[in-house]
Amino acid sequence: MAKKPTEGEHGHRPPAPMVDEVSDFEVLEMAVRELAIEKGLFSAEDHRRWTEYMDTLGPLPAARLVAKAWLDPAYKKLAVTDGVKASLQVGIDWVNSMPTNFGTPSDYCNLRVLEDTPKLKHVVVCTLCSCYPRPILGQSPEWYRTPNYRRRLVRWPRQVLAEFGLQLPPDVDVRVEDSNQKSRFIVLPMRPAGTEGWTEDQLAEIVTRDCLIGVAVPKPGVTANAKRPVHPAVHPVHHDH
Amino acid sequence: MNASSKNDTNAENGEHMVDLTPIALLETIRSHGRVWGELAAQYGVTNPDPPWKVNLEATCDALSAEACALPLLERRSEEDELSASLYSNVPFPERQLLALAHSMIKRGLVDEKELASRMKQVHDRLTSA
Repeated sequence: MAKKPTEGEHGHRPPAPMVDEVSDFEVLEMAVRELAIEKGLFSAEDHRRWTEYMDTLGPLPAARLVAKAWLDPAYKKLAVTDGVKASLQVGIDWVNSMPTNFGTPSDYCNLRVLEDTPKLKHVVVCTLCSCYPRPILGQSPEWYRTPNYRRRLVRWPRQVLAEFGLQLPPDVDVRVEDSNQKSRFIVLPMRPAGTEGWTEDQLAEIVTRDCLIGVAVPKPGVTANAKRPVHPAVHPVHHDH
Repeated sequence: MNASSKNDTNAENGEHMVDLTPIALLETIRSHGRVWGELAAQYGVTNPDPPWKVNLEATCDALSAEACALPLLERRSEEDELSASLYSNVPFPERQLLALAHSMIKRGLVDEKELASRMKQVHDRLTSA
């Protein structure tokens, strides 16, 4: 029989610090939402469903997909041929778990998994706005949303990757995939050396969000995304090339 | 030509997706509002995003999906334009919130005065004992 816990044995930690101040931005968010509901633009129930959905999103399922693909050739084959079906095995149902049941305005139901090779590196962008495979990768980072990244990656991919600290040899081709109205992408990077014998959990830990976008490659010991300051474009592009 | 470069061209021609005239209420928030990075540092909070961010994301999606009141692509294009101009010095996601409110006011989805009045009500509600 389990010992009845007594006070102090619950493993409770002191409460985390909180912001004890109401900010104008917090108030603005609530006021906009309340007015939108009152005007019938959406209902309180709609908003609750969307918030609940947003709360479920994170990068872990995509990392798990990659780790499984590294360990299981059959699963890898499924992932690169049918990303939506492969997603089911990491708990993501692209079609039926959305609030709308047919994808969302920014989460359409076609996931493609882009497999890197020793001579080919993939990287993902959305030049139009900031489409991102949210169901399996969570919310996009700020830099992904910036015109600076979106415009420059398609023109100078090698240079932009170098700014992320990813310097590719000249004999490695870079393929930029532009998200569009129907498709979302994640990168299946190559499994790095030094991970022989690792479990799926260990492997998933080094598949960071940035690796899944393609601006970084997995490395043993690296389990977090590098912090990246966001800059406006210094020399904005003025012409179509 | 994709839509992004089309927008560039429009901007160069003096055409804008959104009316960039400042809105007094939002200007006050922009200049006096305390952003999450500042509050988090002061109170020792480590989460990188403000708690209201998830609600903002849900509002943006619901506005696009439930009534098509503010379609996603239009909102994002306007957010890009506002982020490079009026709200360029505001960090994310506060910038996204100001841009959303700006787009809604300029479309007449909400009125500036009624938003100001609702903000006062919400503030009083949150700060009442």
